[in-house]
Amino acid sequence: MIYADNAATTRISDRAFEEMLPFLREQYGNASSQYSFGVKAKRAVEQARKQVAAAIGAEPSEITFTSGGSESNSWVLRCVAETYRNESIHIITSAIEHHSVLNACRALEQGGCVEVTFLPVDATGRVSLEDVKAAIKHNTKLVSIMLANNEIGTIQPINQIGAFLKGQEILFHTDAVQAVGHIPVDVDDLHVDFLTASAHKFNGAKGTGILYKRSGLNLSPLVFGGKQEHGIRAGTENIAGIVSAGFAIEESVSELAEEAKRLRSLVEVTVEGIKEKIPSVRVNGNTKFCLPGTVNLGFNGISGESLMHLLDLKGICVSTSSACTSGKDEPSHVLLALGLSEQQAKSAIRISYGRYNTADEAKVIVKAVCDAYAKMMDVL
Amino acid sequence: MGKKNCYVCGKEALSKNEIGLTKKLLDLESKKFYCLDCLAEYLEVDTEFLLTKVAEFKEQGCKEF
Repeated sequence: MIYADNAATTRISDRAFEEMLPFLREQYGNASSQYSFGVKAKRAVEQARKQVAAAIGAEPSEITFTSGGSESNSWVLRCVAETYRNESIHIITSAIEHHSVLNACRALEQGGCVEVTFLPVDATGRVSLEDVKAAIKHNTKLVSIMLANNEIGTIQPINQIGAFLKGQEILFHTDAVQAVGHIPVDVDDLHVDFLTASAHKFNGAKGTGILYKRSGLNLSPLVFGGKQEHGIRAGTENIAGIVSAGFAIEESVSELAEEAKRLRSLVEVTVEGIKEKIPSVRVNGNTKFCLPGTVNLGFNGISGESLMHLLDLKGICVSTSSACTSGKDEPSHVLLALGLSEQQAKSAIRISYGRYNTADEAKVIVKAVCDAYAKMMDVL
Repeated sequence: MGKKNCYVCGKEALSKNEIGLTKKLLDLESKKFYCLDCLAEYLEVDTEFLLTKVAEFKEQGCKEF
């Protein structure tokens, strides 16, 4: 099998796996227990907190572990809104956010008292700083823009937006789930108040999310219960997952520059190889400001979903954002936001390379895509 | 929907699964349809594998099957 869907999830790294294992078997203590067995678990969580903080230029006390990126995103949106529950407030986000942000915003809108502006993006998926500035209202309390898009890999000008918002009474959140571990991320450089990340996107285990919250800011709990995570996120800690997050992020960041260069070359081989046989192929997204291993390709006249299935028959995993699973074939909201037609949006696939992909695999993918394309064109 | 025949061998009245496979794997708007055997040959996989895919698509709730 060739797994080229690393934007969906990644294989856990050997190091992260080895480090987490003891916390599932021998050292299974509860980090809240006060005997030594529990203290060891607590120390492991705190070690991971330091590792995560160091990777994004934060202080350990600014890191909270959650169940995943969706929880972290929902937490910020819902609880910032909750802070202003007696006021009518305004939130700014973009049209191409992950559904955990978009749907949380829509839920807030439906609850009344919260107005949300969904900013447009340009043809490459970039939000403009000017649009952010123009959207600000007297009651804008939060701006939430993703650092890198999950479908097209486009990287947003978060540092510019953050610099503009700095000093204003507006909180700034970025969903950095696709970015952390893949491009340099520093919370001070980005000028963000909140940042979301998820361990399984950088070769950690599934089920562990991260929320960075700038020191001094208050955020009411989303999950109520015990006093875990500095009293703001209840629930027994997923020690093994958290440990995996610490080692995986440390590993990813230490190899980041070299790995980014390697992944960019895999993408280049893929795009150039496919273009040679299918000149009409289109790269959806920004080719300059983009994640190193992610590329979204549009093929005129064919179904991206069918192409994905044909590649699956050959043991190749890529993704399409327009999957017909229940008879309802919805085009990607991200691709539509770029200005693509419904048909163009449905003709796309995403290839996302990661740590375990090789140049030989990229060549196999090129051949498989070209072969599948020819077969699909033949039936039309 | 009218009955479909296999574009290659001429097998008549293709089953819902056969039509569904052609649509799902080649194109919803496909003008050519294949029986299970001919589709397997065209796609260079075995028929058992295609049947496994049918089961997966059904599990996912695809209404083409």
